[in-house]
Amino acid sequence: MNPPSAAAILLAVAAAIAALVIPFLGMPLLTDIDFRICALAMIAISWNMMAGAGLVSLGHSAFWGLGSYAAILSANDLGAPFVVSLVPAVVAGGLLGAGLARMTGRLRGIYFAISTLATSEGLRVLATMLPDLTGGGNGLYLDSTLFPGNAAISLAIPCGAIVAALIAWAISRSRYAFALRAMRNNEAASQMLGVAPIRFRVGIMAVAGAIASLAGAINAWHGGYLDPGVAFDLKTTIDAQIAPILGGVYTLPGPIIGAIATIAFEEFTRALFGGMVGISLLVFGLVLVAVVLVLPQGLVGLLRKTRRR
Amino acid sequence: MTNLLQLLIDALLMGGLYALMSVGLSLGFGVVRIINFAHGEFVMLGAYGAYWALTLLHVDPLLALPFLIVLGYLGGWLLFRGVVAWVLKAPALNQILLTFGIALVLQHIAVVLWTGDVRSAMPEYALSTTIIGDVFVVHGRLIAFLVAGTLIAALTTWLRYSETGRAVRAVAQNHDAAILMGINPGRIYALAFAMSTALGIASGAIVSFLINITPFMGFSILLKAVAIVILGGLGSIAGTVISAFILAIAETMVAYYVPEGAGWTEGVAFAVIVGILLVRPRGIIGSALAT
Repeated sequence: MNPPSAAAILLAVAAAIAALVIPFLGMPLLTDIDFRICALAMIAISWNMMAGAGLVSLGHSAFWGLGSYAAILSANDLGAPFVVSLVPAVVAGGLLGAGLARMTGRLRGIYFAISTLATSEGLRVLATMLPDLTGGGNGLYLDSTLFPGNAAISLAIPCGAIVAALIAWAISRSRYAFALRAMRNNEAASQMLGVAPIRFRVGIMAVAGAIASLAGAINAWHGGYLDPGVAFDLKTTIDAQIAPILGGVYTLPGPIIGAIATIAFEEFTRALFGGMVGISLLVFGLVLVAVVLVLPQGLVGLLRKTRRR
Repeated sequence: MTNLLQLLIDALLMGGLYALMSVGLSLGFGVVRIINFAHGEFVMLGAYGAYWALTLLHVDPLLALPFLIVLGYLGGWLLFRGVVAWVLKAPALNQILLTFGIALVLQHIAVVLWTGDVRSAMPEYALSTTIIGDVFVVHGRLIAFLVAGTLIAALTTWLRYSETGRAVRAVAQNHDAAILMGINPGRIYALAFAMSTALGIASGAIVSFLINITPFMGFSILLKAVAIVILGGLGSIAGTVISAFILAIAETMVAYYVPEGAGWTEGVAFAVIVGILLVRPRGIIGSALAT
């Protein structure tokens, strides 16, 4: 991989600073958009990390939802304050990722994708059917005495996104990047060359799972309410894949650019069609189909192509 | 004991419907090698088709069925030629995301056109029953079972004996050898995809008088169908039919014998998916590839 240009580094740092500063400007609308972009960037980076190793996830809501429940339950039942409650969320997400990697050890492509889908739906059923723990279908409110204030939460999410981006960057600069790319292209061949796919799979999925769980946990504090439908919403899974696809799959800036573009798109369709139910997801679907057909390299690919000309 | 008999009859009637839902998915995967995540949405569209035929035109779902099948076939053919055919050689990632996107589009077209309201088609036979001995048979379920059985039998016969059906099987078994025998695989793919869509629409039409119709019904149907297809072995019609009955029986038993079972039934399909992928990814009658 080529070292990033000075302009790219500058842009990335500027974006990071902007994401951190916006919550303090006292503009609720902008703060909200900042929050959503950062949360989406986190799950998009996480999704892209797995896709980079050839693991297509259709179940990112599993990590997200598990993280949400881990944070809220440790706060409500154990009295954990905001930052402390994020720890069990990260651990739970990492364990789910590693466990799923172990379990699906030999599955690839579509089979892997289906097993992630089944996992997230299975967790949703589990959360519904264990009302003593999760409040079941009635849902569960965060203990409001623990609420750390909007500023802390609005600051936590850009921090999380920056950490996620740095982890992705560190992986892309390390030699693991080569092993993961080899796994994506041909897992059997990579094994022949001395890569132990299962080790890398467990590692990358633990990291990706922890990141997505962290995003879900922070978002749960932001929302203050959880039920199985909210926690394991299919929309999370869809978002997690749309952003990197739109931005440019397998690339470093792709998920982040995609997250910004996706939220911009969402706001745009909302402004255009107002409260018409379903339109925004309809447009999402069309974008997904169009991007896969016309622009498989995403916006990053488009940028690179125009620059080369 | 009669209780058990009643449960088995219920499961059997349900299994026929499950089989029809999954056979389309199985056909599409076996031939085109793409798991169509929009299959549940075809079922949803079929259900709406039958619902509108009944409420607006006062046409019985069973009479509307042939028209819906033809419409589904044409729609599936267009969708394949226009969209799906472009990703046949693309990586699995693109194929998965594409059909997922199609599902999203169809689902929300339904939301926009028909709102998220829950509807149900209620022809006269939907709730009437016959009592045989101690067993209640709901006519709607029985009719659904018979229609499903007929359609599956027709499909199998067509695949087995007709010239085109044999070409479809040839492409499914060995794509390259089929080309050498003078079969045009592009045509067969389009045909199989269109047929698979038509089967989805058909199961939707008969589901319309059994369960509630909403724009979001497709997803859980898709997951059940995926569970069944994986259990049976991807691409095996016989395996699909057998495992449809297995899932139906398992769900019925869980609903009845497990405390609060009705809630857990939703989980049976996922348990099946995870279990079978871990233990025997080829399915029970597995001829499909494990890649």
